[in-house]
Amino acid sequence: MSNTTTNPQKPTAVQTTGHAWDGDLQEFNNPLPRWWLWAFYATVVFAIGYWFVYPAWPVGGSWTKGFASATFSVGGKEQTMRWNTRSELLQDLDSGAGAVRQREYLQKIASADLEQVRQDPKMQDFVRQAGKVLFGTNCAACHGSGGQGVIGQFPALNDDDWLWGGTVDDIRRTLIGGRNGFMPAFREALTPAQADDVAQYVLTLSGIVQPDEAAERGKAIFHGSVGGCYYCHGDAGKGIKSMGAANLSDKIWTLVDVNATATVADKHALVRSVIWNGVQNRRQMPAFGHRLSDAEIKLLAFYVHQLGGGQ
Amino acid sequence: MAISAAASAEQYNYDIVRKFTIMSLVWGVLGMAVGLYIACELAWPFLNFDIPEITFGRLRPVHTTLVIFGFGGCALFATSYYVVQRTCQARLLSDALADFTFWGWNLGLLLGIVSYMAGMSQGREYAEFEWPIDLAIAVVWVVYFFNFITVIVRRSQPHIYVANWFYLGFILATAILHIFNNLAVPISLTKSYSLFAGVQDAMTQWWYGHNAVGFFLTAAFLGMMYYFVPKQAGRPVYSYRLSIIHFWALIFLYMWVGAHHLHWTALPDWVSTLAATFSVLLLLPSWGGMINGVMTLSGAWDKLRTDPVMLFLITSLSFYGMSTFEGPLMSLKSVNALSHYTDWTIGHVHSGALGWVAMVTFGSFYHLVPRLWDTKMYSQRLIYVHFWLATIGIVLYITAMWVAGIGQGLMLRAFDDYGNLAYSFVESVVFLHKPYAWRALGGAFFVSGIVLMCFNVAMTVLAARREQAALEAKLAAKLART
Ligand code: HEC
Ligand code: HEM
Ligand code: HEM
Repeated sequence: MSNTTTNPQKPTAVQTTGHAWDGDLQEFNNPLPRWWLWAFYATVVFAIGYWFVYPAWPVGGSWTKGFASATFSVGGKEQTMRWNTRSELLQDLDSGAGAVRQREYLQKIASADLEQVRQDPKMQDFVRQAGKVLFGTNCAACHGSGGQGVIGQFPALNDDDWLWGGTVDDIRRTLIGGRNGFMPAFREALTPAQADDVAQYVLTLSGIVQPDEAAERGKAIFHGSVGGCYYCHGDAGKGIKSMGAANLSDKIWTLVDVNATATVADKHALVRSVIWNGVQNRRQMPAFGHRLSDAEIKLLAFYVHQLGGGQ
Repeated sequence: MAISAAASAEQYNYDIVRKFTIMSLVWGVLGMAVGLYIACELAWPFLNFDIPEITFGRLRPVHTTLVIFGFGGCALFATSYYVVQRTCQARLLSDALADFTFWGWNLGLLLGIVSYMAGMSQGREYAEFEWPIDLAIAVVWVVYFFNFITVIVRRSQPHIYVANWFYLGFILATAILHIFNNLAVPISLTKSYSLFAGVQDAMTQWWYGHNAVGFFLTAAFLGMMYYFVPKQAGRPVYSYRLSIIHFWALIFLYMWVGAHHLHWTALPDWVSTLAATFSVLLLLPSWGGMINGVMTLSGAWDKLRTDPVMLFLITSLSFYGMSTFEGPLMSLKSVNALSHYTDWTIGHVHSGALGWVAMVTFGSFYHLVPRLWDTKMYSQRLIYVHFWLATIGIVLYITAMWVAGIGQGLMLRAFDDYGNLAYSFVESVVFLHKPYAWRALGGAFFVSGIVLMCFNVAMTVLAARREQAALEAKLAAKLART
């Protein structure tokens, strides 16, 4: 920057560096703006402060640890560590405001039974709030955010029709171990005509059609050794919860949407398709026993129980 | 320089500048239209139509690649070739090699986006190309470097203009980043595995990723700014000293900050602290560029009232200032704990990408196009309209993303009276729907703006052709008479 010339526009003001490119491109030789420089120094001071607070510079095989710390208890013993992401997490889980409150209520849930929860409005409120989030995170993707389910895929949890039982204990068992919906495909065992007859009989159980000759033949197959349907669905077709077999005597359908069809012929065709094809490996309820704590599972069971149809 | 016969009718190679300018606009329209489409997919997911090629996951890299490397890349090729020739007063050494970069770059991009839609990807953000395309791009880049440096070496000026430092820094850094980030072991023509693993791999990716921002989307566009702002304003750059200091500070600091993309992960805590502090140190050097650009206009502020091109350029600098303030803020561990994994990041990206990168490019092109075709812009009015469409689009986009990002961040950490999480994740997604629709509207404004620009440019070029033809006819008639 040896040769400087005067600024053509303001001869008395700042000078340019004297270079010119492409005709008229020039540069003033203004000093660094003061405020800019001081602001830059301020960021330097901030950075140095930050290095003192947090782990920062590598030194030898280690690094400077910073002066911030985190306190938490392990097995009842209080412990203080230098700050790092792990110790901060432990501190949060141990003494964060939310964690403390939640722990208090979860402990109450762990030792309460259904009646106690019902009697305590605060506990009920807790179940609804905590349950909503746990359910939203773990269950809603399949069962829907209100537990309404999807016919054919995921059972509704907000009605009083249960495959595996609707008491708090039943639901807990479902959650801990998971479930695998199963029904054999009767195309192996029945002739097409026999399948027609059984379907007709099943429709009489919920009063959709009146008993007729075909239904009589179907009844024999249902309760006899050819079909053997009673073995899982029970003598009255009301389902057996240890088998996860559906109640056929109500008008609630979980595999095919019978109620949505208008004609009896269509309803018949849907029910027949279930008998013919069965259910294999497509209705799996995952096990949550190893994913959620006992208290969380109990809480979810209470939550599902109060969705509409707990027994 | 002999101004003889047809051979040197042009002192500089403008042909390559014109070609890259046009392709930049073409990729710009395509890339932003895809951006608008994926914005709509997020708001109304049925638009995925279960067609794999157009699902969000595949179109997203198509968008980022087209806007960054297609629109941005071609704009940088165009302006750097223009600026380096004019400020060094030397023509590109070889027209053939310049054309090679044109065809290589654009065919590479085309092949790349087709391969993304077919489902091929390295899965590294902004570097999704599989290895054969990476190799081809590396070759093109070396030739680009050669083209650029040979003009600098042959300059007829003792000093190298500041814009060229930035362009050169960008070309060199991009070469290094591209090569190291893409070191991989191929297992077939269309699939490879990174040489790095685990946290080292993540670190390499974001060292690349942030410097893609730092050198591609920032340093290079500062080069553009350093030529077109003083040119358009007709005034000298504000401070030579500031330009030196902030240039070296920027180059030095950017290389350290990649880890701020990996806060609160398996990355060692000390690495993340250093990245946070170096990001904070980056604030003022970044602002150096903004100050130098904006202050260049001091004493000529009235130009903002009369010159829409200046409006584009100065607005772009304001957005540059804003996003480089927001960036360091988001680099702090505590702020990032909220902002990361939310649309705040997306808002930040686009205040830089739309507000800075796209606006400075539009402004520069409106300066460049009439000079390349030796005529005037078809319509000044349409430039104003474009300016307002773009500005409204950006403001809608960014505010929608602040609402979405900060809102979701707060929802995910909210507790109820019992210490339970107050919202499930799904609820936070439902909340996003409205801001996503607003963002899509903002995108629609922005896309209409660039479409309008293309119309304006096309009309300008056609008019220039007509003028040229008329002139030649006159000349021929004159010659015939004599
Ligand atoms: C991957 C999908 C999926 C997820 C996630 C899931 N379920 Fe299920 N769930 C099912 C299926 C499928 C069935 C039906 C099994 C059958 O047909 O016997 C089922 C059955 C049940 C049943 C028995 C219903 C009855 O009628 O007896 C309960 C209760 C239940 N789920 C609760 C839950 C809860 C609570 C959660 C969350 C912790 C959950 N499910 C998560 C798929 C899922
Ligand atoms: C019309 C204008 C645009 C619209 C509507 C738009 C829309 C989008 C959308 C919807 C995403 C995905 C966000 C997500 O994953 O949640 C995205 C990502 C991105 N866009 Fe755009 N975009 C536009 C213009 C641009 C421009 C001009 C650039 C660059 C110059 C750009 C650069 C990017 C980048 C870098 C990302 C990835 C961000 C990240 O991973 O954090 N976009 N854009
Ligand atoms: C001083 C300057 C800047 C700093 C310190 C900075 C910092 C940051 C931070 C902290 C993030 C979020 C990382 C995360 O949580 O994942 C981010 C994301 C991003 N920024 Fe900036 N930023 C700066 C300037 C810019 C500018 C000018 C642009 C654009 C031209 C830009 C483009 C981006 C992009 C594309 C991402 C998204 C990356 C991704 O996740 O895909 N940044 N930046």
